[in-house]
Amino acid sequence: MATARPVRAMDPYAEQFWAFTQARELRLQQCADCRKFRWPPGPTCDRCLSDNFDWRRIRGTGKVLSWTTFHRGYFPEYPPPHTVVVLELDEGPLFVSVPVEISPRELREGMTLALRWTDGQDRLGEYNLPVFGPMNG
Amino acid sequence: MNGRLAPLKDIVAIVGVGETDYAKDYRGSGGQAVEKGVARYDSYTLASRALKRALDDAGLTKSDIDGLCTANLSGERASELWGLNPRWSGSGDAAQCIIEATMAINAGLCTTVALVYGNAQRSMDTAYGGARVTGGAITSYFYYAPWGMTSQGALYALFFQRHKLLYGTTEEQLGAIAVAFRKHAGLNPNAVMQKPLTITEYLNAPYIAEPLRLYDYCLINDGGVALIVRRADMARDLRQRPIMVSGFGWSEENVDATQLRPRLKSFYHGAHHEVAAQVYPMAGVTPNDVDVFATYDSFSVHLLASLEGFGFCKEGEGGAFVQGGRIELGGELPCNTSGGMLSESYMQSWNHQPELVRQLRGGLGSRQVAGAEVAQYVHDVAGKCKSLIYTKGA
Repeated sequence: MATARPVRAMDPYAEQFWAFTQARELRLQQCADCRKFRWPPGPTCDRCLSDNFDWRRIRGTGKVLSWTTFHRGYFPEYPPPHTVVVLELDEGPLFVSVPVEISPRELREGMTLALRWTDGQDRLGEYNLPVFGPMNG
Repeated sequence: MNGRLAPLKDIVAIVGVGETDYAKDYRGSGGQAVEKGVARYDSYTLASRALKRALDDAGLTKSDIDGLCTANLSGERASELWGLNPRWSGSGDAAQCIIEATMAINAGLCTTVALVYGNAQRSMDTAYGGARVTGGAITSYFYYAPWGMTSQGALYALFFQRHKLLYGTTEEQLGAIAVAFRKHAGLNPNAVMQKPLTITEYLNAPYIAEPLRLYDYCLINDGGVALIVRRADMARDLRQRPIMVSGFGWSEENVDATQLRPRLKSFYHGAHHEVAAQVYPMAGVTPNDVDVFATYDSFSVHLLASLEGFGFCKEGEGGAFVQGGRIELGGELPCNTSGGMLSESYMQSWNHQPELVRQLRGGLGSRQVAGAEVAQYVHDVAGKCKSLIYTKGA
């Protein structure tokens, strides 16, 4: 049994994003015309309004912008304390994720973290959740 | 922009305000807070009460109303309840409704608009985080649930953490905001939380989403607010001195909003600057002229953002600015003088308007900002920014 997590928000583009995670691939849409990466997934490029795009596998590294630690429980699947981090991916988009193999006290502004995977499931099915840990981990 | 908005300056006035008994409605018979989820009211009960009070305050009757803005209510059901067939209707937050009512009045669609809000959020145990969060208007409120990210408080915690990292702002500095608003609430018999709060008590309170603590969060209480907005030439000779809507502005910083880019990279200052460039020239004032200030304060952090974004201090200096009583009554820029949404009542922008109107009318006793002539409200919910400037007019 994969780890239960709060339910994903689903639309045709999110569905494709999560489908890639089953093969542990973190892919974001890149505009085929102006090359802007976008997140969350959606139908058009916000820079040029093109609807041509490719799902690009990204490098999977980003720099820490901010984080917060929940001391109150909101989801039964994430009892407190639970920490969430926001990274600026090398490709440009900001990405909300969970820091792993590092304590919140060790997080630093601008620190580079790298992609890891952990399992997940909700009523929509099983998937893998992209999370981030130290470079030398 | 100045030239295009200037003709709308002072064409409407707030002529009546009404609010429910926030403090009384929050306490049970034993004086303790009423339980969440025990339905004592519905939103229409509260809204109806506020409307009646606003009409009484103005000295008008419902037959004078030809336009209606409703918030957190069905426009049809509200109109039906109050026996109104409006010639124009709208919906939204307080600033949006006041701006749109001004435009409707200016266009000749109506002359006298009732703006009515009711929210039985404590009775209904409304959730602002977790699996019960509803509504799809702001994607970041629900999109990151698989990672355990939820609640508007946590989004503002990320904001404040970023502010700390960039500028060295301290949690003690942030605490001055909750302490100041609570001090103001202590002078407001209708405020839900009137017990004084010290900075030590603030710092000893538990974190909710670190680095934000309990007192950085607004209340969850039941209430209703109504405002009567009328064409200025019809606003004289009523029961109250008319308070003019002298300036407004509107800008939304939505590009890459779900990614949290404007939240964490610019602290929404892009929207603040756009709005400032509209509201001050329209009203013919500068931040230096503002006597009393109110900001949307679902979280204390909002005040840092709006003070910096509207030029009351430099970017990154909000933490220092709010120290030393500067934002308290008697200080350089009294902010959220009713106690705001942190300590008076969480009316989602609506309770700030009656307070600013009362400050300009005068006679608030120990809560009065002496000689108040210019009042400003800043609305900023996830970068959806508006501002209003009220004056006593000519």
